[in-house]
Amino acid sequence: MSTSADKLVEDYLDRLERELADFPSARRRELVQEISEHIAEARAGLESENEAEIRNLLDRMGDPADIAAEARGQTPETAPAAAPVERRSGALDVAALILLLIGGLVIPVIGWLVGVVLLWISSAWTARQKLLGTLVVPGGLALPAGLLLVAGSESSCYQSPIPAARDHIICSSGGNSGQIVGSIVVALLTAASIATIVYLGRRMGRNAEVATA
Amino acid sequence: MVGTQDALLAQMRRGTLQYCVLSLLADEERYGFDLVRRLAEMDGMVTSEGTIYPLLSRLRRDGLVESNWQESPSGPPRRYYRLTERGRSALDGFRLEWRRFRDAVDHFVERTESK
Repeated sequence: MSTSADKLVEDYLDRLERELADFPSARRRELVQEISEHIAEARAGLESENEAEIRNLLDRMGDPADIAAEARGQTPETAPAAAPVERRSGALDVAALILLLIGGLVIPVIGWLVGVVLLWISSAWTARQKLLGTLVVPGGLALPAGLLLVAGSESSCYQSPIPAARDHIICSSGGNSGQIVGSIVVALLTAASIATIVYLGRRMGRNAEVATA
Repeated sequence: MVGTQDALLAQMRRGTLQYCVLSLLADEERYGFDLVRRLAEMDGMVTSEGTIYPLLSRLRRDGLVESNWQESPSGPPRRYYRLTERGRSALDGFRLEWRRFRDAVDHFVERTESK
């Protein structure tokens, strides 16, 4: 057995040992032992053992750094891609949120219903979040907008016939207190509707992260 | 472009290699050197033989293969690998998916090449 060949193999195994320095010792020992046995068996199969043959053999074994990377199981280019996150929170999910919020304004009732359907067929949210998105607020912004419209038609507005006061639009409705309560309800419904959509929008991203983690 | 193609090929090789290992073990148990030599004999499958050992170790930890030591006619005892039930069903599942995938890619790639 030539000593230069032994030296080459020894150097190779030393390098492998160093590359695996951060591994638990049992795993490191096992891997180095297996590689070393493989080399021994390959050497035994060589017809003539010269330095070139040993170098070829070690080349075929591969760079110790590559073996260590494989053992870590996460070479950078093979780490799971972030693509699934984007696919999960896809265009349909965004469309669901938009339709839930303003779909009812564009096409009354139906626009919002389409949003509800998209919400429930999506995999971006949990059942609880979907329920929340459906019940708060039914109709989305169309509900407070509708209330505003109804309230508006009940109160009567007219322009003053006096030219000097033409800038003032005078309205009368079911009393000041009723108007205030109505405004608060409309404001609350609007805020709740927007808040729910914002919440679902944020959850959409987070659920996707959890799913791919 | 060549760089990304190389990376893609490396990834495809890496992703499918474990199923080639499982396939080699489907009918009989084999020891490391034998497995590696058979994989390396096939052109384009393995670029560095040493990386098979970490793969074998991972397959064992995942419960897809199991191993035991056996005396060898020459030299030290050898670690023989064999497929577990889990490994077999993983292999069966992959075979189905692989055939579909391969046929789909062939359908497009082979056709455009012939024109």
